[in-house]
Amino acid sequence: MTLLQTRNLTKSFGGLVAVDTVEIEVEENELVSVIGPNGAGKSTLINLITGMLTPTDGDVLYRDTNLAGKDPYEITQLGIGRSFQTASIFPELTVQDNVDVASFAAEQGSFTVNFLRRRDRYDSVRQRTADALELVDLEDEADVPAASLPYGDKRRLEVAIGLATDPDLLFMDEPTAGMSPAETEMTTNLIERMQTERGMTIVLVEHDMDIVFDVSDKILVLHRGEIIADGTPDEIRNDETVRSAYLGGEEI
Amino acid sequence: MSEETAQQLTDTDAAILSWETWDRVKHTERFAIVAAVVFVALWSWLFARAPITSELGGYHSLATTILIWSVFAIGFNLLLGQTGLLSFGHAMFWGGGGYAAALVSLHVYGDPVLMLVVGTTFTLLLAALTGVIALRLHAVYFAIITLAMGQLLYYLATSPLRPITGGRNGLTGIQLEPIFGLVYLGMPLPGIFGTLWVNYEYLLVATVFVLVIAFVNRIRKSPYGLIFRAIRENEQRVSFVGLNVWRYKFAAFLMSGGIVGLGGSLMTIESQFAGLGSLYWITSGEVVIMTVLGGVGTLFGPVLGAVIFLYFEGVVDGFPIVGRYWLLMLATVFTAIVWKYPDGLWGMLKLIASRIRSSVEDNP
Repeated sequence: MTLLQTRNLTKSFGGLVAVDTVEIEVEENELVSVIGPNGAGKSTLINLITGMLTPTDGDVLYRDTNLAGKDPYEITQLGIGRSFQTASIFPELTVQDNVDVASFAAEQGSFTVNFLRRRDRYDSVRQRTADALELVDLEDEADVPAASLPYGDKRRLEVAIGLATDPDLLFMDEPTAGMSPAETEMTTNLIERMQTERGMTIVLVEHDMDIVFDVSDKILVLHRGEIIADGTPDEIRNDETVRSAYLGGEEI
Repeated sequence: MSEETAQQLTDTDAAILSWETWDRVKHTERFAIVAAVVFVALWSWLFARAPITSELGGYHSLATTILIWSVFAIGFNLLLGQTGLLSFGHAMFWGGGGYAAALVSLHVYGDPVLMLVVGTTFTLLLAALTGVIALRLHAVYFAIITLAMGQLLYYLATSPLRPITGGRNGLTGIQLEPIFGLVYLGMPLPGIFGTLWVNYEYLLVATVFVLVIAFVNRIRKSPYGLIFRAIRENEQRVSFVGLNVWRYKFAAFLMSGGIVGLGGSLMTIESQFAGLGSLYWITSGEVVIMTVLGGVGTLFGPVLGAVIFLYFEGVVDGFPIVGRYWLLMLATVFTAIVWKYPDGLWGMLKLIASRIRSSVEDNP
């Protein structure tokens, strides 16, 4: 079943067309990677789908709902999560509080009148946070201020925040950038577990080709705002257009 | 020898145990409320009548005024300290609540509780109206538009609305009726209660103060407290976890405005007067100074800021020779404190306390 579909999706900044009539389809429980050289429009594409940017033209359909023009919080509440390229966390809050923010959003919706209720009375929120922290292996750092974590841990915290929002579809923007080889491996395993154990659908933007060709079911190649290839890792590996346009004719 | 070492060990253990108990207790909700009750119970006496401390020149009505301004600063801090929104127009809620309370007492009835309810309700409406517009803007633009709105209200009260507000003369002749028809606020309290709290008016102000502390403390411990701080830290991320940032900011603005309006109404009861000064932008600036001086984002910091500010204004002002330089001295103190301790006086006290504590723990 198709979970996400874009039709004719276009974004231009002044004269520059960053995303040009892109049409993609993401099936349920699929792991799709988006690759392309710097400036190809990968981040713009994610920003259009998750509501950070409004499309100039075209539609984004998620389970028959048109996302174009919706606010990020509405899109997140529909079940689309994202983790950011830079560690987008709450530096002065503890690790646990960082994830709690997302857990509250998942448990109680985008706005609730509960300012007279103590937050330590929400067992389901605490459980959700504990689960997310355990998945990224940060449960021992729960009481540490996020600002004092090493960079790789901050990125994992960022992923935990994305997970706690309980998404069906998760966009991950370069999740392994700045991570050590051990952390990269852990993250790759985590991504595969989220797909297999939790049935999540994942869209990955990644520069590390080893990871991309290792974990993806499908790869989309963006070049100058357009999709130039779309297929399984094997198909992409042998695609002449991709080689000449993106990989400069190199073997991969 | 070995006995001595054992003895030392147990002592250290006991000390660590008691620190742990203290750490647990001081973060409980009840502790903050008990601390507030003890504070207001002793405050007027310590400030104005106790044998040694009152030599510093405090007097009872200033003690009351300080509590009322503390309510103002606590309400303001809910917006600045918790949510990270700097309003430069909070005088509109302080003065707005004050005028509304004065008007209801002049034209309807002067029950202090009715004045508080009307003042606060009017301010909530005013905050809803101004919040819808101001919260569309960010950072410095938010500060400027709140300043502009506050000044707009000030000019409205000065001239076009003079028939209602009394223009430059303000509203005088406010008659307070007995609270709930039972007792006049000016009536002295008997015996020890009179020594501690003087009259019923102080009891009313102290009660409101404690209720505001309890309310803000509860908000801080609710999901809102966490979400407000998250918005202060990284607003974009909050919307991308699925929370409606605008509504939470609006809620913070309403709560802050309502508390400030409650304080403004109390001020009208205390002074039996509502004047233009309460709406003026300098008033908005004074509450910023109090809050930053005391400690942004802390529960009791703004109270400390209000104490220092009003002490300089009300007491140091009257000192021979140096008195006329009170504002200069206050500015110097402010600059020094904020430069050295960005978390204000409260942050400074916490730091000193933790230094003493770690030296105690290192040398038992």
